[in-house]
Amino acid sequence: MIPAAFPPWARAETLGASMPEFASFQDEPPQMSSGTVGKTGFLHLGFEHRSGKTILASLERRVPYMVQRALHCDEQMPGLAYVFLITTTGCLLQGDRLALDITLHPRAQAHLTSQSATKIHAMDANYAAQSQTIVLADDAYLEFLPEPVIPHRHSRFISDTQISVAPSATLLLSEIIQPGRKHHHPDECFGATVLSVSTAAARPDGRSLFAEKLVIEPRRYVMRQTGVMDCFDVFANVILCAPKDKADRIHERAGADINLADGVAFGACRLPNDAGLIFKVLGRETAQVKAKVREFWSVVREEVIGTALPPPYLWR
Amino acid sequence: MIIENDGVDASRSPAFLSRMLQFGDSMFPIGAFAFSSGLESAIQEGVVTDAATLRAFARTALEQAARGDCIALIAGHRAATAGDVDTLVRIDTRVYARKLSDEARTMSVRMGKKFTEMGVEVVGAPLLHAWRECIETSITPGCYPIALAINFAVQDLPASQAFVVHQYGVATTILGAALRLMKVSHIETQKILYELTGQTDGMYATAAAARLSDMAGFAPLTEILAAIHTRAHVRLFMN
Repeated sequence: MIPAAFPPWARAETLGASMPEFASFQDEPPQMSSGTVGKTGFLHLGFEHRSGKTILASLERRVPYMVQRALHCDEQMPGLAYVFLITTTGCLLQGDRLALDITLHPRAQAHLTSQSATKIHAMDANYAAQSQTIVLADDAYLEFLPEPVIPHRHSRFISDTQISVAPSATLLLSEIIQPGRKHHHPDECFGATVLSVSTAAARPDGRSLFAEKLVIEPRRYVMRQTGVMDCFDVFANVILCAPKDKADRIHERAGADINLADGVAFGACRLPNDAGLIFKVLGRETAQVKAKVREFWSVVREEVIGTALPPPYLWR
Repeated sequence: MIIENDGVDASRSPAFLSRMLQFGDSMFPIGAFAFSSGLESAIQEGVVTDAATLRAFARTALEQAARGDCIALIAGHRAATAGDVDTLVRIDTRVYARKLSDEARTMSVRMGKKFTEMGVEVVGAPLLHAWRECIETSITPGCYPIALAINFAVQDLPASQAFVVHQYGVATTILGAALRLMKVSHIETQKILYELTGQTDGMYATAAAARLSDMAGFAPLTEILAAIHTRAHVRLFMN
């Protein structure tokens, strides 16, 4: 690929430069510096609905991002394009910049996931950044449910997701954040230096719907504090953009509860400007949180598509 | 950007101080007493059980406000001092877009509207009239931090005092609700308030240095408590 004046991954490269929480981490790694080949990944996926099913109509990629092909393996939704996001490096290192660009054309239906958890390795210079844009046209349907993120001790990670969603489209976007490798070393539990996760959504005409910026800085703000993580370790943030009538039915069914004995808490709130719902889950272990996210996902499928989920894979 | 009156001016006359007290009073009739900021659910769910967990819960609320709403409050104060209604609308819209639960939105726009209306009646500055017009014609949602910023700016009260009033309000709303919801004494709630307000200087310095796009936070359990409260069968408070 010939680099343009402003390559499509430019945003991922500039993201961390202006954020105050990353001001003290602008030094270059002594290993490969940021932005070099192999450090800056780019992936563009364009899905189109053609003759009864969704195909991966356009694909551009730059290492370490990789996608092989769309599978049509979901028996409940045979037209659904099922795509595994692959990163050939297998983890995020200091100086990594990733840009992901997903477009669903009208009536396209896709499911995106990763192969395994994303580890963010310990850092002593710079940071890792990820920029995502998601564009959903009329009646498009996207489930973007990657495996959890595992921030290691002293990791620094910035993620920014910009969503453009048509009023008739549905987006289910989940992010599960583990506290670190807590069974490996006590310092690994909330050992990350800074995690900054921003999400903003707008209509195709530019009308802003909602914005959220989560900044996790365990050394500045006590993670165990009442109202923050309390006794919980794993956190899931699930955003649902959907038409109001469907979102209302899903909200009705989603439930909300805190069970301190079992170590699970969850609940859904209505987003501003009738954008949809935000569903948050806290758990002591990842499996509990994944199970709750799956429950919510299954309600979304039933209400939006009218089908059930396929049974869970044994090894995921 | 006008920032001359951002800080505390020691030569302020006692009249200014009494105005700050008036508009910062927890009894100021904007309906703050109807809200618990999630404390009602926190007590029902066993998250807040005693003075120590109450202190931590209130501290979380103050930290979240300082990292979010208060950045908009200070930016709003600057825009209001410059008389820039368009910028105020832009800031207000961004505050609203960051309130991700129904009850947080309800609380902010209800108190914001009431505070603006009281300002029109009591202070009566042109900018307050213009802002009430913007809220009534749905040009802007009318969130509380912006209403507070405009009110203080037109009275020449500094942004730092608007910040103090905002944070005092966050704390007293929760502590006032605690007295009605749980077994805690007035002495304990006053001790908590005294301790928490001691952190105002550092929080103000951080918020005043931040840009609007830096508004952030992280309090997932508080957000889950808001989700639970909307579904609760028995509710004394509106959030």
